Amino acid sequence: MRLAFYALTSCEGCLTTLITNLGPNVEVLWKMFDIDYFKLVREPVGGTRIPKADIAFVEGAVVTDRDRRTLTEIRKNSSFVVALGTCASSGNIAYTASRDVDFEAKHLRDLEISPAEPLSSLVAVDFELSGCPVSAEEFTEALLRLINSIEPIQPDFSVCYECKSKGNPCLLDAKKVCLGPLAMGGCGAACPTVGSACYSCRGPAMEADLKAYLLTLEKKGIGKEKALMMLRMFTGKKAKELLKDGR
Amino acid sequence: MGGSGKGDVIVDTNELRFIEGHARLQVRMAGGDTVAEFQNLEGPRFLTKYLVGKPIEMAPMVASRICGLCYTAHSINAAEAIERALGIEVSKEVRELRNVLYLANNLRSHVMHLLYLTLPSIKGVISVLRLRDKDLYEAGTRLLTKSTELIEVWGGRSVHVPNVVVGGFGAVMNGRQLVSSVHELEGLMNDARKFADYAIELDLPELERYRPLGSLRNPGHYPTYAEDASMVLNDGSLLTSDEYYDSITEVTKYYSTSKHAYFRNSELTVGALSRVILNRRHLKPEAKSFAERVEWRMNPFLIIKAQAVEVVHYMEELIAAGQRLGDIMVEPSKEGAASGVNCSASQGEIPDCQGTGRGFFVAEAPRGALCHACEVENGKIKSYKVYTPTAVNSKSIELDAAEFVKKFRPLGVEKMRYILEDMTRAYDPCLSCAVSLDIY
Repeated sequence: MRLAFYALTSCEGCLTTLITNLGPNVEVLWKMFDIDYFKLVREPVGGTRIPKADIAFVEGAVVTDRDRRTLTEIRKNSSFVVALGTCASSGNIAYTASRDVDFEAKHLRDLEISPAEPLSSLVAVDFELSGCPVSAEEFTEALLRLINSIEPIQPDFSVCYECKSKGNPCLLDAKKVCLGPLAMGGCGAACPTVGSACYSCRGPAMEADLKAYLLTLEKKGIGKEKALMMLRMFTGKKAKELLKDGR
Repeated sequence: MGGSGKGDVIVDTNELRFIEGHARLQVRMAGGDTVAEFQNLEGPRFLTKYLVGKPIEMAPMVASRICGLCYTAHSINAAEAIERALGIEVSKEVRELRNVLYLANNLRSHVMHLLYLTLPSIKGVISVLRLRDKDLYEAGTRLLTKSTELIEVWGGRSVHVPNVVVGGFGAVMNGRQLVSSVHELEGLMNDARKFADYAIELDLPELERYRPLGSLRNPGHYPTYAEDASMVLNDGSLLTSDEYYDSITEVTKYYSTSKHAYFRNSELTVGALSRVILNRRHLKPEAKSFAERVEWRMNPFLIIKAQAVEVVHYMEELIAAGQRLGDIMVEPSKEGAASGVNCSASQGEIPDCQGTGRGFFVAEAPRGALCHACEVENGKIKSYKVYTPTAVNSKSIELDAAEFVKKFRPLGVEKMRYILEDMTRAYDPCLSCAVSLDIY
């Protein structure tokens, strides 16, 4: 089976996470599969050409024309495309940050730069592994399912679920804005566990109910403006969809 | 990419392999002169622009997303820049633990760069997994796994750590909990030695060119993260961090998605080689003995060996820090605990902060001096700037490339292409970092 790993516009933190967190298992992957493209791990087969692959993992948002061309080629040559991480699945911070940039400015036009988009704005995406960064465990699970012809699944619980099971005190009770109730779990509630608010870096949870969340904030006497700003940060294009539904 | 340059292309690397991000190097003849263009092809993510108008507590979290390899450096620098802008004082213990995180981050980044990105091409194999010396790969992997684990234990996650916040740390850090993970490092010292030994024995091209070198100087110590460090140059001059910041100008290049950062309107080489050349007497003992085996010259390929020396140094520093950590207990930053002139931090949140001020911070990130600067107005970020080592080194990369082609043109295009690619990679450029000085 052929795998390929690509990075479009990103910090490459997702691919790096896979390398460092899989540790010695990178070698297991290398032996089990034909990895034809993984710029940080091997010299690509066929140089700059995008090779045929059974599963392509794509990190990053689409920002440059180069990203567009690469992604279109990847889609053409790959049977199954997985969006790897939040940039690829929602556009991440770049999505919101690039909405009010003047892309008609000469140098941006010359360099063929456009507002950031998630992969799904351009091509069909078969599965999304969310997270900023992705979790190596979720990657492994998805891969194991795929090679056994089982559909991969996303966590169907919110960050609150994991946060509560860790026994953390609720940040909302302390009158701090936290997006835990809206956010897709699977991260082990990494941020609330160290006392920082959840910014929903994995995108909205399946059960995300914005109306109910805003009501909760109101009951607790927390202003909603900051929450909405936080929601637009990582959740990018998906926040837009959520906000549309919630109002 | 539009805006193609003038003149005939002599060498074109196409997209560089085995580097962080996307870039290309072209050397061309223009008006009788050999000029090089280091083109960043990475798209901008507008992260520093995003920070404008946002509450100050968001800076470390957003800055972290600049880079997937040196995120800890970015989030610590961001926290420090904000603290300085608001006059928030953090405790000695917080600094000690930030230092440890910085060391672990630099160790991880160096091992990743040497093992995965540098060695394959130099040894002529398609991947580190095809390296003949299996033990080396295993030693490197153990170092990589361990340093990642250290960051996870102290930072709350292995990549984009949430525990680094304005004012200190989000969660209680008990030094004793950390000692055991540091002790395990002692068992990996042999791996670090093996790794450094291998890199130091590598046969690398000679490409010497005189240039100004810059590294932080932390009196009595090898520079990494320090409360207050000045910048030393190879002509012996010393600049305060303010002066260093003021010496940088941003230069837009028509061929690159990121600006270059010029030092005194020209080049400055920062990074592991500059650190070793300018500060090697402060290396820890074993690292120093490795350093003594190399004849240090201004050859960018020697950055590889300097990083290998630093791998041993960071290990020794971390082990030494482990012996001090046992007595440290850092409470989460509480309201009033880190009181400043204007604001107080509580687990990274700065409630009702109306503070105003300017702050910046420089530290030695894996690839060289990293500078974060911000202006805060009424508790909101007014402007944010990141001068990354790659933005500073870009000019040196171009000058090295032009010099190389001038001298070695008879080698032929194919050979030059490979050597130029290896030379650029030796700088350990990070295009995702560099693009944070974007051109919007």
